[in-house]
Amino acid sequence: MAPSGGPPAPDPADVQPAPDPAETEASLVARAQAGDVSAFERLSGAYADRLFMLLLRLLGDRGEAEDVAQEVMLRAWQGIARFRCQSSYFTWLYRIAVNEANRALEKRARRPDGVSIGAGELQLPASPVDDPSRQAENSELRRALGQALNQLPPALRTAIVLRDVEGLSTQEAAEIAGVSQAAFKSRLHQARLRVRAAIGDEMLVTTGG
Amino acid sequence: MGMPGQADDHQWSQQHLSHYVEGELRPRARRRLDRHARDCVDCGRGIRAMRALVYAVQGLDGLAGVRAPATIFDRARLAGPGGSPPSPQA
Repeated sequence: MAPSGGPPAPDPADVQPAPDPAETEASLVARAQAGDVSAFERLSGAYADRLFMLLLRLLGDRGEAEDVAQEVMLRAWQGIARFRCQSSYFTWLYRIAVNEANRALEKRARRPDGVSIGAGELQLPASPVDDPSRQAENSELRRALGQALNQLPPALRTAIVLRDVEGLSTQEAAEIAGVSQAAFKSRLHQARLRVRAAIGDEMLVTTGG
Repeated sequence: MGMPGQADDHQWSQQHLSHYVEGELRPRARRRLDRHARDCVDCGRGIRAMRALVYAVQGLDGLAGVRAPATIFDRARLAGPGGSPPSPQA
C-alpha cells in the first residue's frame, strides 16, 4: 500500500501503457490472419517507418515510395494468410517491399522518359569537423555515391542497400533478396566494385577514409 | 609486377578486395592478398578505397527521422477484411 502523503499518482494520460501481453507478434499475426485489419496495422505499423526509408533508398523518389509503400501493405494484407512464421514478420514484409520496389524500377525502366532516382534522398551525415573544405569534400562524395548507386541495376542496388546501408546480416539480407547467401555475396561484391570504379579510389581514399 | 605469377596475383587480388574487407577470405587466401598488397601500390590503395567505400555507404543515414506517410494502410483498408480470401494451403 502506498504511504499517505507520498508523491501524487501519475496522470494516466502521461504514462506509456504497458505492452499488452496478448499483443505479441505471434498473436497479432494470428489475429491478422483471421481478418482483423487493426491487428495487421499494429503488426505492420511497427516496421512502417523503416520500410518507407528502405523504399526511399531503393527508389529515390518520395512520391513513388509512398505509392509503393501502400502497395506493399496491400500485398502483405492480401498474403498474410500465407505467412508461416518460418521467417520473422519483418523479413517477410521487407521481402515484399524489395519485390515491389524492383517491380516499380522495372516499370520505370520501360518508360520512354525513364527518370533516374533522385540521389538527394541519399545523404551522408554532416562532417563532425567544422571544416568547410572537408564538408565540401563530403558533399562531393555524397553526390558521387548517390549517382553511383543510382546507376546500379536494381539487384545490385538492393544488395548494397540491405547490407551496407541497412546493416542487415548477410543471411537476413539474402533471405529478403530471395537468393542464396553465396549469390547475395556475389551481388554485394559486384555492387561495391562498380561503385568503387564509378567514384574512383582517389576520392574514396582522400574523402571517405 | 614482373615476376612470374605476380600478374595473376594482381588480378586475383583486385577481384577479392571486397571479400578481404568483409573478412570472408580463408586464411590462406588472406595471406596471399596480404603478401601481394605489401608490394603492390594499386592493391594497397584498393584495400583502403574499399574500406572507405563501405564506411561511406554505411553513413548514408540522411533519412533518419523520416516517417511513413499516414496513407500507408489506405489500400489495405479499402481491400476490406481479409484483403482477399485466405489461401487454404496457408
